[in-house]
Amino acid sequence: MRANFIFSEVWIGLRRNLTMTIAVIVTVAVGMALLGVGLMINSQVSSMTGYWTDKVELSVYLCKKGSPFEACRDKSAISQEQKVALEGTIREMPEVESVVFEDAAKAYENFTTSDSNRTLAAIVKVEDMPESFRVKLRDPDTAAAVTERIEGQAGVSNIINERDLLDNYFGFMGKLQYMALGVAFLMVCAATLLIGNTVRLSAYNRRRETGIMRLVGASNVYIQLPFVLEGVIAGLIGGVFAAVLLIITKIMIFEGIQVYMPSPLGWDTVAAVITGTMAVGVLICILASFITLRRYLRV
Amino acid sequence: MIHFDNVTKVYANQNRPALDHVSVDVDKGEFVFLVGPSGSGKSTFLRLVLKEERPNSGAIHVAGKDLARLSNFKVPHLRRRIGCVFQDFRLLPNKNVYENVAFALEVIGKPRRFIRKVVPEVIELVGLEGKAHRMPDELSGGEQQRVAMARAFVNRPMILLADEPTGNIDPATSIGIMKVLDRINRTGTTVLMATHDAAIVDSMRKRVVELEDGKIVRDQSRGVYGQAY
Repeated sequence: MRANFIFSEVWIGLRRNLTMTIAVIVTVAVGMALLGVGLMINSQVSSMTGYWTDKVELSVYLCKKGSPFEACRDKSAISQEQKVALEGTIREMPEVESVVFEDAAKAYENFTTSDSNRTLAAIVKVEDMPESFRVKLRDPDTAAAVTERIEGQAGVSNIINERDLLDNYFGFMGKLQYMALGVAFLMVCAATLLIGNTVRLSAYNRRRETGIMRLVGASNVYIQLPFVLEGVIAGLIGGVFAAVLLIITKIMIFEGIQVYMPSPLGWDTVAAVITGTMAVGVLICILASFITLRRYLRV
Repeated sequence: MIHFDNVTKVYANQNRPALDHVSVDVDKGEFVFLVGPSGSGKSTFLRLVLKEERPNSGAIHVAGKDLARLSNFKVPHLRRRIGCVFQDFRLLPNKNVYENVAFALEVIGKPRRFIRKVVPEVIELVGLEGKAHRMPDELSGGEQQRVAMARAFVNRPMILLADEPTGNIDPATSIGIMKVLDRINRTGTTVLMATHDAAIVDSMRKRVVELEDGKIVRDQSRGVYGQAY
């Protein structure tokens, strides 16, 4: 193997096909960046799902005077005895891990310190806040059964499964992720075709050289390697650009919304995503080059 | 060295065979002219020797190898033992004489020290000493064909195939080309030359194999081009 000979061939090929090379680099960069963003969202969603699954609770709101909910209308507020009885009932259920009582003052405090309620916080008074039991389940999937049994009890206003609230949010993240992955898939297809085309042009430009190489008995590796390397180098440069784009995305977007997220996306995840997308990019380049060469550079 | 046994080659989409039950034996060190009109199968014969084409039936042995049983992976090694010269020279226009000849060795991975030693020797053998740094477009047709022959011979092949090497060259210059081929033949290399050039065949008095419509119609040692049956 004469490495400098092969690399001079690669350099000639890349220079002669400069516009196509640039097109490949840009396509690979954008495609891999989108693939990377999709993977980053995926990892963010799964880490948050894990975080929330541990914390998810049923909120059992209790009747109070003037409550507008169906179950409490025209009834007086829940009495102290009813409260004790209800807490006992809930505590005895085998699915329940723990029960915490949240009174109006505590609810008010949680409400006003939460970031999302600033406007309302100004006009809400302690008396407006409902009392509730915060029920933590051993297995979040039993929520429906538990809800059904608590609902009929005296003094219960309504029950909210916090997971239902989160589902909206996860649904949005999921859509975003599928969109990024879908566009990434299209870009990867475009990149594959472009690389194939570039290699084909390159092979056509150098058909005289490859013809002579064939004739004097150069091995397939010697003939094909320069073309494959051209694709790989273009893919690698595209991958580097994709890595830069991903780092920018992490700093500008993920760090920006992290304020609202309990489990931030770590740099280790970003590094893994970059490694993965680079590997995918180079692999695509190698595959596209080989498939094209099989058709246009018969040995 | 080259052994064709009942070889038939039919190209796809053609009903007439390019070679029709051809059997030929060429021994080591022989000089053989392959003559016949255009389309008689001369080029197909040469392509079969290189395993650029596969026969439909019959067996071909080249340099002791059965081509039917030679895997694609080993075809390059076969071609390293066969040199090729063509009517259109096939030089690389952006490389000078030395680089054109050296290219054949570079691409089969020969070390640079070896290349530096043998390339000037071969350039001298074909009579181009002092012109190693000329570009192909600075050379006459005859000189370009000499470069092509140097490239074909630089790896000391056992067989040299020449497909109408004098086809683009005037008769006076052709004599010089034939002298180089004869010189190569004298080193022990088997030479197989396809040609239309009657004057050259007549003057060389070597073995002549004549093809017509894919069949061998004459195989004569010390033959001439014309109808001297």
